[in-house]
Amino acid sequence: MTPAGRVTRRTLLRAAAAGAAATAAGCAGGSPSVQVAVVWSGSELDRFREVVATYPHPVRVVSAGNDIDAFLRARHLAGTSPDVAILSRPGLVTEYAARGWLRPVRPSTEYAVPIGLSDLLMAGGQRYGVWVKAAHKSLVWHLPSMLPEQPTSWDGLVSLTRRLGALARRGAGPAPLAIGAADGWVLTDWFENVLADLAPTAYDALAGPDADWQGRPVRDTLDRLAELWSIDGAFPGGGRRALLTQYEESVIQVVRSRRAVMVFEADFTAEVVGRFRRGPEEPVTFRFPSAGTGGGALIVGGDVAVVFADARGGVELVEWLTRADSFQPWLRAGGYLSPNTTIALTDYADPVRRQLAREMRGPDTLHFDLSDQLPGPFTGSDGVGIWRIMQDFFADVTDGVSAGEAVRRATGQLAAAARDAGGGR
Amino acid sequence: MSQVKVLGELAVLDDVGPPRRGRAYPAAGATSALLLPAALLLGALVLWPVLRTLHASVTTDGRWVGAEHFRAALAAPGTGAVVGRTVLWAVLVPAVGYLFAVASRRWKEGGLVRLILLVPVALPLVVTGVTFRLMYDPDPTRGLATLLAARLTGRADDNAPQLLGPGLVTVALMSAFVWAWVGLAVLVFRAALDRLPPSLADAVRAYGGGRRHVLWDAQWRPLLLRTVAVVFALVALGTSRTFDLILVMTPGSVRDDAAVLALRVWQTSGGTTTGQGAALGVVWLVAVAAGMLVAAFFVRQAWPPPRVEATPGPAPTTPPPRRLFRLLAAGGAVAWLIPLVVLVATSAHGQVDAAARGWWSAPPGTGSYAALLGGGELWRALGFTLLLATVVTATVLVVALLAAYPLAWLTGPAAQATGLLLMAATVVPVQVIAGPVNEVLGVVLSSGTARGLALVHVALGVPFAVLVLRNAFADLPAEQVRGARLGGRRWWGTLHRLARHNLPAVIAVSVLEFVQVWNDLAVGLLFSGPEATPLGLFLAGQSRGFVSNSGVLAAGSVLASVLPVVLMVLARRQLVAGLVSGGVR
Repeated sequence: MTPAGRVTRRTLLRAAAAGAAATAAGCAGGSPSVQVAVVWSGSELDRFREVVATYPHPVRVVSAGNDIDAFLRARHLAGTSPDVAILSRPGLVTEYAARGWLRPVRPSTEYAVPIGLSDLLMAGGQRYGVWVKAAHKSLVWHLPSMLPEQPTSWDGLVSLTRRLGALARRGAGPAPLAIGAADGWVLTDWFENVLADLAPTAYDALAGPDADWQGRPVRDTLDRLAELWSIDGAFPGGGRRALLTQYEESVIQVVRSRRAVMVFEADFTAEVVGRFRRGPEEPVTFRFPSAGTGGGALIVGGDVAVVFADARGGVELVEWLTRADSFQPWLRAGGYLSPNTTIALTDYADPVRRQLAREMRGPDTLHFDLSDQLPGPFTGSDGVGIWRIMQDFFADVTDGVSAGEAVRRATGQLAAAARDAGGGR
Repeated sequence: MSQVKVLGELAVLDDVGPPRRGRAYPAAGATSALLLPAALLLGALVLWPVLRTLHASVTTDGRWVGAEHFRAALAAPGTGAVVGRTVLWAVLVPAVGYLFAVASRRWKEGGLVRLILLVPVALPLVVTGVTFRLMYDPDPTRGLATLLAARLTGRADDNAPQLLGPGLVTVALMSAFVWAWVGLAVLVFRAALDRLPPSLADAVRAYGGGRRHVLWDAQWRPLLLRTVAVVFALVALGTSRTFDLILVMTPGSVRDDAAVLALRVWQTSGGTTTGQGAALGVVWLVAVAAGMLVAAFFVRQAWPPPRVEATPGPAPTTPPPRRLFRLLAAGGAVAWLIPLVVLVATSAHGQVDAAARGWWSAPPGTGSYAALLGGGELWRALGFTLLLATVVTATVLVVALLAAYPLAWLTGPAAQATGLLLMAATVVPVQVIAGPVNEVLGVVLSSGTARGLALVHVALGVPFAVLVLRNAFADLPAEQVRGARLGGRRWWGTLHRLARHNLPAVIAVSVLEFVQVWNDLAVGLLFSGPEATPLGLFLAGQSRGFVSNSGVLAAGSVLASVLPVVLMVLARRQLVAGLVSGGVR
């Protein structure tokens, strides 16, 4: 045996031993800590780690990202489900509960959420999840210097878009609207805001098992969207370009390159603004304009904590998360909007979030994000479900297809997708 | 080499030629036990999952539903286009590789060109996707290719051709894929072409054959017979690898316009393999199996194959390289480098500059590297991936060496059958068996998904490693085998000596396996636990908000590419030698 041969073999053995030791150490770490799988990543994940650091027992937070459904299914197949999971779709809560994967939870006495939210997490008379984070999804952002006067109604928004669009076509100004149509959820958020404003009762029915996706409310909503989206010059670079623009880039177009005046999206837009703002000017917001005289609809999204059936210590952690002071670290750091109405408004360090929290406690009825409640693949992801259908609709109306034809195609696709997913027609 | 003289045995050994070596070395019962680790791995994590997928495609929750899932999957809008696109991908790489290899025969000084072609092969496909998405950015102030296209077509910036738009996205993806993979195809075809005796072409010409006849009779037919297996493996790998590229390169609105079977299976059933997803997976498996049978029909040759006589010298008829060809080669090499330049240049800008302006219009800065290296996530991903790739490579090597040793001495139909089985196991797409593999992992490991991930990587890496090592063992000259047999007292001594003679193949297998695990996205996406994120998954996660993260993504891509590129470049000679000795036939 040559020295070279011996060394090779020894290094191999050493490498294998190191690997074995590392994997052994990895599973020896399974002390009585509670494992939590979350949808968050980046700074949100860091903030949540700060939150659970104040919990009296050790908590291990792992990020499963946006594919948390696939992740939890795989873990369930492998029999290694986490103790607690934080999901972004209430539809998943009832789905998992129906399969018997979850255990009921009991919130603390300091837990209160707006009407319309808590019922979403009930299955068979039991509560299977609690809200831990909310998102306000009815905001239009712009820089004050770019838009001196905010539109107060839907018709105002349409005429403003026409006026600015005509200027933009001549190259005499920025386009009126930036839109991240490459991300399907941006388009579904538009759809939901218009629908909740036009037909609030139909909105709630569409989440149910006998939804009518070809009825008048859906058609009227799409008609109205077509009215705005088909305006020539509405988007920087046109509709085809908008379909390749992702959400973050649409915010950049407003606050940095200033190729567009307004962008519609949720409160978490503030984080993108913070990274890409140019100069000292802060953008301001107004509520998504209503067709009527009221204040317009209020769409909220949110994240839910659930406990898996074999969990150890999960129920206690979830109870603790619903207390009014648990999320204090995140409230102080900013960028957090709580669904819990018992939290004092003065606890919000971030003025934007404080204002939004006040709005969420107002007299208007809240509507939870519709696409997040839809069953199965209909709920949408890149190239799938309602995301894809809304993108096709957007492509049609910005490409000169008549509104009537585009609406007919879209409602047909929506009804077919709803049927395939086992709900609606 | 052993000096022990055992005259009788020498005489016996010299009598049998390589084709009949098996009779001189009847595989003892004990050596068959060496197959056990490989058989267990492949049985549990490839064969059983394939059977479960077949089962899932005709049942719903255990209830028999016949062909319902197949009807639904095939009737779904766009399925025909998806299948067609998959076939198109499968044809593309071998065709382009063959053309490049034929063309490059004229280049005498092609060493540097081949080196430049090799670098993209080593890059993770996620990095390739990031690179080309940067080039094809729809905004002409950021995307170099879009800017050039706008200038060439004379359109205004706002109306520039959209290379990632629904019309061109498949072309854009294919350009990225050709850039990444053609180097490997060229290497394989070039090695095969170089092995063809030039006298064959001369003979065809002597009988009055034209260019077309030379191509057909002296290159295509003998080449097809010999390289069809490797070509086929490339094809199958290619169609499942496009998955990584599509996931990173396509914005959500055009994903359907670019989808192939791999993506459709993932979209339909995620990591669970049920219903329609399973049905589509079965369609894909059947296509792969049909291809296998065709391959088997062509690869009817003696096993182990007769040795090629002394390598033929350069063909005397080849004209000296013309200036035009040399210029073309140089131009091609420079063009091949442009994407790398774009990637590195983008990474050398802060996050805000990279997202808001083109890399050519903003002053360079180290902001993106600082942001990336300052956070712990990249370090954790790098460390975990290094550990994972090392452990997996070592395990694959041990398991494959053990299995290749007894398999190399098989002859006749048994040898061909094992070769076919190994080929089949190599080309099973992991997306098709994800759900059942997870079930098996649940039975084998109650917790700890990092080990599960490593196990899946090992199971997927073993068949190819065994195939290459078995062929390399069987290819050894008789005197080396004799020396090893006489020098090693026990089977492991013999195995060790044989492995030393086969160093190129061992190095080729190790480097390829290491780079494969390092560069992986699909296996990580399907099986990794969240406590440790492999590099590919880390980068793919960052690409969700592509433009706003482009600086960090480019910097992360550069850092992720250093190790595989260095390994591939250092080991390129052994790679070619190892793959050609084990792969070409």
